[in-house]
Amino acid sequence: MRSDINKPVWLGACAAGIAVCAALNQGVLHPLWVRNYAPKNLSVSSGLAPDQMLLALAGFREMVASILWVRADTYFDQGNYDAVLPIIRMVTWLDPKQIDVYSTGMWHIGYNFTDEQSRSDRRYLPSALALGAEGAKNNSETYEMYFETGWMWFHKINDQYDNAVTWFEKASEKSDIPPARRNMLSSAYQRAGQLDKALKLYYDQLNKAEISMKEQLDQVTAFTARQQRDTVEKNLDVFLVRMSQRGNFNADGTATELFDTQPPFDVGFSAEVSVIDAAVLRVRATWNVRPVGTRIRVILRDADYPNGTDAGMDFGASDSVNLDPPKNLTFMQDELFIRNRRADKKMDMSRDPTMYTFSKDKYYLDFYYNPRSAPPHIQDRFGFLGEGMTDKNYLNTTARNGERVIFHRMELTRDMLKREGEWIDKMPILRTPNFIEGSSTRTGEEELIKVPGLLNK
Amino acid sequence: MRAIFNIARTTFGEAVRRKIILIILILGLAFIIITPGLGILSPRSERAAVTSLTLGLIQMTSALLAITLTIYLVPNEIDRRTIYTILCKPVRRYQFIWGKYLGAVATIGLMLLMMTLVLLAVFAFQFNDRGFNAAEAAELAKAPLMFFFQMSLLAAVAMFFSVWTSPIVNFFLTSGTYIAGTVFNGVFETLKESRSTSPILRALSEAVQAILPNFGRFQVQNAAVNPGQVIQSEAVYFGTAIGYALLYIVVMISLASVLFENREV
Repeated sequence: MRSDINKPVWLGACAAGIAVCAALNQGVLHPLWVRNYAPKNLSVSSGLAPDQMLLALAGFREMVASILWVRADTYFDQGNYDAVLPIIRMVTWLDPKQIDVYSTGMWHIGYNFTDEQSRSDRRYLPSALALGAEGAKNNSETYEMYFETGWMWFHKINDQYDNAVTWFEKASEKSDIPPARRNMLSSAYQRAGQLDKALKLYYDQLNKAEISMKEQLDQVTAFTARQQRDTVEKNLDVFLVRMSQRGNFNADGTATELFDTQPPFDVGFSAEVSVIDAAVLRVRATWNVRPVGTRIRVILRDADYPNGTDAGMDFGASDSVNLDPPKNLTFMQDELFIRNRRADKKMDMSRDPTMYTFSKDKYYLDFYYNPRSAPPHIQDRFGFLGEGMTDKNYLNTTARNGERVIFHRMELTRDMLKREGEWIDKMPILRTPNFIEGSSTRTGEEELIKVPGLLNK
Repeated sequence: MRAIFNIARTTFGEAVRRKIILIILILGLAFIIITPGLGILSPRSERAAVTSLTLGLIQMTSALLAITLTIYLVPNEIDRRTIYTILCKPVRRYQFIWGKYLGAVATIGLMLLMMTLVLLAVFAFQFNDRGFNAAEAAELAKAPLMFFFQMSLLAAVAMFFSVWTSPIVNFFLTSGTYIAGTVFNGVFETLKESRSTSPILRALSEAVQAILPNFGRFQVQNAAVNPGQVIQSEAVYFGTAIGYALLYIVVMISLASVLFENREV
């Protein structure tokens, strides 16, 4: 039986129906789907094999991400670190909820790319921090990536501690943060100079630990709670003693000669830099502090390094994860370890031409010492914030927004560093005016650690 | 309506006895059952990986079932000439198309229900000690529910093609439409968002995405894979998506009916 339907009318109605569907799709469904159900990154990434791409687009993103991560582990075991980088990016693209990949990835980027003398490639740090920030944003329900990002500021960058505080504070706001990890915030407060907050947090932690200890019934959790209580109690005791010794409880807020940190101790910094061969430096320095534990940061970078600052760069300036940092930039960071009040170190950059390209004309060589990073036995004399430290030549309060640091900058040219042009047969030597030739020559005693004691003479 | 119901019932009865359909179903169920074993690939995200994979398997199996089932419905009747015995009765052609379609949808619904029940049983067994409860089961079941409407729409598309193409051509046309509406959604989004895309290509991708049935809109499993997300206007979304599917189905089956009216059988 055939019907007598009006074909044009039906077709017109169908066309109208499709138009309504298109409007519903674009006007209502699309925005809600993107907001609620779309995987975090919808756009198509390059780098996946066709089969992986098909599987990922077909809805198996998490499984493809897991398989890729297993492969990354294999590459890592083989020492093929470069191959791990794109996988990290792909896995986080496919499954932004894989916190382990974010945390391992930022650690890998930040720590594992090193030169022949084990100096890590700091050009990667902005990307590592950006990866951490992205991980935190995509996993804001847990403390983990906030903590990891804070840890990178605290431990790897080991400077500009306000940033570590910011991230640790965000981590501490999350309910799942273990008490032992929240303790880190107090350490960050101390280095950032926020001693009141550090003290308050310790008391708060102690209070929580005691409550938790009373609440725990089974043996294991009771032991953990007790351990936390004991740890916080010890940390608090030590902190109170240090604050007392260093004059931080003085009535008018300033330490007097009654305290260990006064009068300020002159560290007597001086330095000499010789370019002994192309891209090879010999750095000698004096430091009038006898106890071991001083590390003076040495940074050599392009004078126009993007976001470069005194003795560093603005590591947090990048919003995007760039796993292929510009290869034409040079940023070297090393440390002088002081023994017997002097240091003498050869810094060989000649074997890593991709890391130290020296493609610019002008370079800054910065010496930097921040007492906030100093070990406790040094801080007992210098104070938490360097109030017990001075240097008649190189004390600086502008490089880090009012913080008392030792800072000195030397300028070098490409020809000097590469021993080219007029420097082919002539060794470039730069000295601070107070450097005394011979005061830091090798005596054969360098490895002998003398009895600690802070002496002016 | 009675004619449509009778045809649908007969179609359902035939479909559930087809071996190829049962084989696809059994394979799908087997994969769902063994999938939790792959959770070791992602130790800390085991649940997410297993959820993603099992729901993906359900979707793929259902799509295969929907296409395989529907593309043969009308051609088989014509080839076996059984259509004459139906159309010589007081049955209109559009009733025949609707009856066939609804029978297919009922079959797909039954098989999706079976896979969902197996999925819930597997999760209850695998994640019972990790807090898998009724609320989570309900959350998990939302994805197969939306798959049902997705597959109903896919069956309607297959039915539309089946009245004027051979089953083999229909298989590729329907599969292509499904892939364009799911897998290539990301490609279209990239083309639309990329600054380097030419205006013509951008307009083209917008038009294709708007006109083709967008099967991707029924993929709501991300909420089940990554629990804890705040879903806004869920009821509005589900209602609109279901409305979208029903309207598109009516359009497709109406077009199929119009085309079938003029076809010599």
